[in-house]
Amino acid sequence: MEVAEDGRHLSLDRGFMVVSEKGRELGRVPLDDMAVLIATAHGLTYSNNLLLALLERDCSVILCGRNFTPAAILWPLDGHHIQAQRMRAQADITDAFKRRLWQAIARAKVRNQGAILQALGHSAGAFEELARKMRTGDPENIEAQAARRYWPLLFGPDFRRDAEEPGINGLLNYGYAVLRGGTARATAAAGLHPSLGLKHSNRSNPMCLVDDLLEPFRPMVDIAVHRMVSDGLLEVDRETKRILAGLLVQDLRTDAGVTPLSTCLFRLATSLAQVLSGERQVLDLPLSPLPLEIIRGPSAKEGAHVTQRVSAHVDDGDV
Amino acid sequence: MFDLPTVTKADQKAATRFRNFLLDEGFEMSQFSVYMRFCAGAPQVEARIGRIRSNLPKRGKVQILTFTDRQYQTMVCFDTRTKQEPAAKYEQFKLF
Repeated sequence: MEVAEDGRHLSLDRGFMVVSEKGRELGRVPLDDMAVLIATAHGLTYSNNLLLALLERDCSVILCGRNFTPAAILWPLDGHHIQAQRMRAQADITDAFKRRLWQAIARAKVRNQGAILQALGHSAGAFEELARKMRTGDPENIEAQAARRYWPLLFGPDFRRDAEEPGINGLLNYGYAVLRGGTARATAAAGLHPSLGLKHSNRSNPMCLVDDLLEPFRPMVDIAVHRMVSDGLLEVDRETKRILAGLLVQDLRTDAGVTPLSTCLFRLATSLAQVLSGERQVLDLPLSPLPLEIIRGPSAKEGAHVTQRVSAHVDDGDV
Repeated sequence: MFDLPTVTKADQKAATRFRNFLLDEGFEMSQFSVYMRFCAGAPQVEARIGRIRSNLPKRGKVQILTFTDRQYQTMVCFDTRTKQEPAAKYEQFKLF
């Protein structure tokens, strides 16, 4: 759910978020159906009741700055009933344990990058090799070595990943913002503190853990952007945003069958909390996507994963 | 769909409470006493029905009908003898 037009007012009415302009209602969305609210317009107003109701439901609210970079995320203080216990376990975690957890996450990311390159017809054997070679905590920074090979193969030798640039980078920013919102929500719901990261430890980043947990899923954004660019879509507009926001409901393969990406995020965050408290041994990470899933993409099943209905009272021109 | 007694003050109160419960759950009014909500998949439908069951008013009839979004889209609607546009398509991303 995104609000991108200036001059909108967002308020609460029973179980709905109401979007209005100059007192005229444009549409309403059931609160339970919202996973992430992305505010990219600048001339927006909100009611406090609405923000509270969204936080009560663990819906993250992302405020975007220039070029769709997230500037702030509203975070529910009370995400899980044993949150205090889980956060204490998280704070007490040893460095060795952190390094081991990070190894599992970074391996999954590198494997997914390899799966994508392979599906696009590149030789990606090196990625499996890199993933296997990665030691706990990744002291050789294999993650970065993989990235150096990955970006030129994916978007051509001239491509530079630079968050300030438009075009491909703008699309990636938007996709990562959606992913970050979904991960933030899962982290809150699992009762974990977002600032206590595993690998990410930048002291000015309040969302270190979120940035750790979303890593294995980044390649899903990358391939979606790659698909859009091959279709000639280079602008962050209505169409591309619609596709990128749909990433959270895209199906992924897991040990327990096929589930939407947002569910995989919940399962990863919950499994981390359980690993920290000694209830289980390994993280619940999704399996690498199969080549056909990558090439066809979620659009092949368009209409199959729908979570929201455009309200009948909304004039389509305004939505 | 529901048919709730509203003769006594207590019944009226119960009916309003039930209606407000539906609105809080994200149900939209389709017509008087007919409310609907989109659910993504059967498990969600089950969960919704469970919540309705535990919030039923003491008296009166409540009926729950489930149909697919495809069937919803093929609904034929008339308003004051004029045919209305078919129901809007489901979309998972909304942009305002």
